[in-house]
Amino acid sequence: MSAPVEVVLSADSAGQLFNCAVFDPHSGSEFLSYRGGNTSSRSLTVLNGEYILGAQLGKNFINVWEIQRKDQLQQKIVCPGIVTCLCASPDGLYVLAGIAEAIYLWEMSTGNLLAILSRHYQDVSCIRFTDDSSHFVSGGKDNLALIWNLSSVVQLDSSRTPEPCHILSRHSLPITDIHCGLMGPQARVATASLDQTVKVWEVSSGEMLLSVLFDVGIMSVTFDPCEYFLFCGGSDGNIFQVSLCSTSLSRDKTFQTDSDGNQVFKGHRNLVTCLSVSMDGTLLLSGSNDETVRMWDVQSKQCIWSINHKGHVTNAVIIPAPANMFLADSHPAVPLPRFSRHLNPSEQGDGTGSGGMCLRLGASTQVTSETSLKVLERCDDKCGSVLCQSVFGDGENTKVRVSELEEEVKTLKKINKDLYEFSTQLLTKPN
Amino acid sequence: MKTKKQKRQGDFQKIQLKVGKKKPKADNATNVNFRSKAIHLPEQLKHADSGPTTHRQLDIKDLLSKLHHINSNIKQGALVGLRELLSAQPTLIELHASAVLSEVAALFTDKDGSVRAAAVRLLRFIAQCISAERVAPFFPLLSAHLTCAMTHISEAIQEDALRVLDVLLEHYPGLLSQRHTVLLTNFLELISQKRKAGTGQDKSGKGGFALTISTNRSVTAQQWRLTVLLRLGSFLQAVVEERPLEEGVTSMIGLGMWAGEKGSVTSVDVSWEEHVFGKGRIQVFENSGAVPTPHSTYRLRYAVAGMNKELCSAETVQGFAGTLVPLMLEIWVEAAGGDRVQTDSGHLLSAEAMALMFQILTILQLLRRLTPQRDQQDILDAWFRNSYLTDFKHHFMKNFPYGLLEVARHRKKCFGISTGTVAGGNVEPLALNVTLCQVMVTLSLRGQDHVEAEDADWLGTIRVFIRETLSNGGKLSSKHLAALLEVVWRMIVTQRSRVVTDDLLQAVYVQYQQRNLAVSVRTLLLHFFSQLYIQEHQNHPHIARSRILARWLASLPVQLVQLCSRNPQLSAQLLETIHPAAARGNKDLLQSLQKNACSIYDPQEGSVVVLPVESQKRLVQILHFLPTFPAELLACLSQVCNTGRVSASLATMLIRTIHLRSPLSGWSSSSQDVPVKDVDYLSFFFTTLTGFSSEMLQALQDTDEDGLMPSSTLSPLSVFTTTLEQFLHHWDVVEVCHCLDTLGSRAQCFDVIQNAIIKNLCGLVVVPDCVCAAILRCVPRLLDVNFLPSDTLLHFLSDCCLSMLSLLLQLEQSARKRDAVWEACFAAMSTVPRLLRLVLQSLHVGDLCEEELPVLAQILSLLLQHTQLRNHMMANASLLQHIIQDLTVKTHIRLHFKLCFNR
Repeated sequence: MSAPVEVVLSADSAGQLFNCAVFDPHSGSEFLSYRGGNTSSRSLTVLNGEYILGAQLGKNFINVWEIQRKDQLQQKIVCPGIVTCLCASPDGLYVLAGIAEAIYLWEMSTGNLLAILSRHYQDVSCIRFTDDSSHFVSGGKDNLALIWNLSSVVQLDSSRTPEPCHILSRHSLPITDIHCGLMGPQARVATASLDQTVKVWEVSSGEMLLSVLFDVGIMSVTFDPCEYFLFCGGSDGNIFQVSLCSTSLSRDKTFQTDSDGNQVFKGHRNLVTCLSVSMDGTLLLSGSNDETVRMWDVQSKQCIWSINHKGHVTNAVIIPAPANMFLADSHPAVPLPRFSRHLNPSEQGDGTGSGGMCLRLGASTQVTSETSLKVLERCDDKCGSVLCQSVFGDGENTKVRVSELEEEVKTLKKINKDLYEFSTQLLTKPN
Repeated sequence: MKTKKQKRQGDFQKIQLKVGKKKPKADNATNVNFRSKAIHLPEQLKHADSGPTTHRQLDIKDLLSKLHHINSNIKQGALVGLRELLSAQPTLIELHASAVLSEVAALFTDKDGSVRAAAVRLLRFIAQCISAERVAPFFPLLSAHLTCAMTHISEAIQEDALRVLDVLLEHYPGLLSQRHTVLLTNFLELISQKRKAGTGQDKSGKGGFALTISTNRSVTAQQWRLTVLLRLGSFLQAVVEERPLEEGVTSMIGLGMWAGEKGSVTSVDVSWEEHVFGKGRIQVFENSGAVPTPHSTYRLRYAVAGMNKELCSAETVQGFAGTLVPLMLEIWVEAAGGDRVQTDSGHLLSAEAMALMFQILTILQLLRRLTPQRDQQDILDAWFRNSYLTDFKHHFMKNFPYGLLEVARHRKKCFGISTGTVAGGNVEPLALNVTLCQVMVTLSLRGQDHVEAEDADWLGTIRVFIRETLSNGGKLSSKHLAALLEVVWRMIVTQRSRVVTDDLLQAVYVQYQQRNLAVSVRTLLLHFFSQLYIQEHQNHPHIARSRILARWLASLPVQLVQLCSRNPQLSAQLLETIHPAAARGNKDLLQSLQKNACSIYDPQEGSVVVLPVESQKRLVQILHFLPTFPAELLACLSQVCNTGRVSASLATMLIRTIHLRSPLSGWSSSSQDVPVKDVDYLSFFFTTLTGFSSEMLQALQDTDEDGLMPSSTLSPLSVFTTTLEQFLHHWDVVEVCHCLDTLGSRAQCFDVIQNAIIKNLCGLVVVPDCVCAAILRCVPRLLDVNFLPSDTLLHFLSDCCLSMLSLLLQLEQSARKRDAVWEACFAAMSTVPRLLRLVLQSLHVGDLCEEELPVLAQILSLLLQHTQLRNHMMANASLLQHIIQDLTVKTHIRLHFKLCFNR
């Protein structure tokens, strides 16, 4: 059998049979299962296609498996508090965890704790990255959703506390789920809340585009990849499908008179806590507190299969199958470092032992998306004014200055070249 | 012949003139004994055939040509005529706008005062009629004439030019503000003159202008300056207000607190029902998402700024301020009386001086607001601080809390009218002081320790003044209060010290605690506190830790209770603060909320029932954050759900909220402490389901109202018919029994409900119909397949069912109620086959009287009609047959009787 393109990853709160398991999206047959403990809601994540991370329910550690070694727990990462949600960046460089009111950001290459963001007032309920890992969105039980720019959070300058780029404050009850669309910083974000609404926002501007009011609280939300539909899991077990662009539905309407119900997936009997759409947008996966995971056909709104779990389903997601998953003898390319529990690794001294070197964006070069263009503009203005001064000012002085600067540029170029040659030699030298 | 001769003599008779006698008049002498009068033609004889005319039959061409007449009376008459004509025929204005405006504008510089006055009057009239965009093409001309008049050598014309300016400012502020480059210098020249370059006497370098004093004006120099400054102030105001709003304008903190949030994207709002039924087609990305919004940070280029770009940058404002501020300082010094006044009474000012000073401060404030961008504003603030802080400190702060000189007022009463007071000359000392505070506070820099020490002296004075003003118990008008609060805000944010914060907030709080405040003032204070809490809480720990703020938050729920339904807007505003504070888990607020929960959610007069729907919704949402739900509160809430003063959908939301909070729902995984005890939750649920408390049910047993249907064989229970409204409300609320469905163990859950029904309801004789319907509806939904309900329950249910069926046949009033009742009975009987059997068994045909027979027949036909019930009926075929047999026999007998009788 050839390896599947996509797999279903799900976990429940009981953890009797397994902590989390991998299923075939088409048949619902079980491929693999990972044992040990159980996983809390919205905290199962795959890191770089090589590790599975899941936060233990009600405890302050994260379980880690190597993705090909299903039987053995690779590591337990001990955290400062109970982890309420967890998310790894799609590029596999960073891991975010919501621990009580704060968000912890770890760097995967070193295990350093880069930042603790405490802008939420209550527990963080959900964190999601955009697909290019440039931004992330966090939602909390304080009704707020915050959009953060990763590069501005990671900056070295410790004097300035990182600020979110946008604060989405139009929900009136706790936020239960967040879904980030595709297209990086131009993406749209959907947030679901207990206030019976789902709202769609723009990441770049923080503006609200759409608000849909339901008659029950919404526990989970997702888009299909084309963003044609919005799927919302209600607290009464229904899944609502909202069409985001009016297509030729009006043509069909003549023979499909009972429009009531044809946009609802009915089957679950309790809160629908997780939703996920497959890559091609034809399959919808849902997990519910009635202890089942169901796969639906989006077109016909029928349930294709369902799997019974032993407890509330806490995580259910369709992911592209990681390459290592079905190769038992493979190894992760990068070993998982020890996660630091304190913010400043240099004070502890254990970071230096590894011989690694920490490269991070300085405060001056940080890409604060908002001002980069403005800065450019200002520079341009300055250049213009300098030019004016040099034209109209005393010519002698500036000539000297210009020649000085040119010389300096030359020296710098030479140094740069030397440095480059030296390092290429060093790297290409056979050991 | 003789006659001929005589005749000839008679012709040439010589008249002898004698001395001493009058010379007789010659025959041909002209009699000059008449008087002549000039013929004056104020009106034309010809009748209108070429358009409308005035009452003097002059048409617009005549009038316009008369404006060039040399005689000022005629000019004035023509202007009056124009006004008359145009007011009678407003359409003419549009037609002749260019001619009229250009001619009128030319008269701004007329040498005769009355003509100018008439021209201004006409202009005012025209300005009322024509909109700004229609005047825009002629505005360059108007403003050129205005400039001409303002810079005229004759002082009277200068004075009248200000009137023209008034009119234009009133009607076309936007157009005028685009002409600022010319006008600003004009203003300067009105009160000052350029110093001659090269005269070495003035080395101070404070701008190139010196104040002028001219002796032959009709008003004093001070009054003249005041008039000019007033206009300058309103002109700058126009510039500030008319500026096209650009993106990225982050309004400064002080003002930002009053400014609303502006969004450029209109978001789409739909509700699920509309969407499902195809009413709202969503086109999210076409509507708002396809094009990146102007607020998006990803933009290629910025929009071209408006015309007055040059006045936005700090440099230009600095340039202008550099000349204006020294002048104003001089005026200030003169107004303050120089050094002649003794120091002890230096703070007492005449009304005129006070007005002048107030204008100066207003202009300073406006200068600062000319730059919209935040960074530019900071540059400007720093520049003001560097160049003028010492001057300002020296002049403004020397006698700081200013007061009105009483003597001056008396004198003014005597002479005021004769000297001609200037409009806007009456300024309260409080307004002056507050504005002074505003100006000075903007100069204070934020968060730098060494500067703080420097500023401590004058900031201290201001602080004392503010504290005293706010806490001396006097009532402030909302305008002054707004200014004061702005100062307080700025000081709190810039000074970053807990002592200052608490000190100032305490003063504001004292003001807040006063009774009988005007609504606007109350709203303002409330808004101040709530914005302070919501906006600055996170960034400034010294604000977050303020005890006053905490106390204020804690007092909110109490106020909500006290406010009751008296002022819904104020309540809504209170809720606007309570909600986010609760969401943020503010301990003080939550404690207080918990303490007052029972009175807020009181079913009789609590806020949750008396306020409008929006506030009710908020209150229900706030429930979500309440730490615990004691039994009394749940009792209140259950009654709130059932009394019908809260809409059914809101009641549903309330029940769902409580469901989510209870640990049984399985949502809140992390909470260690239990907000809702299971027992309480279930009893809440059961009470809501029945809709009547046990006391009410007991009371019902003894009453005999009209709504009561007596019990009979076919209706074993005596049914109390509730009103349609109540029934439907309860029916909607019961919909939520779905919640119980999702609880962990269904069997146990049903057991609890069964016990509750048996214990509370089974003994009753009189049962409200809505209770019956609710029970019948709820039981089949909750019943587990493997669970065997007890006999007591089933008997009760069958009684209910039968009573409902017979009620059903008597209902004509509402189709909805009938549907609901039938749905309940049907659901119960189809899911619990034993129930159907029990119902059939209880139909004793023998005991029925004649009138009831048709009812029974109808019931049976109803049951048989339904396909889904038919299977179950088949199972009970023998029983059914028996009944029908009895029925037919009895009917036959009756028929027989009838036939006999008839025969």
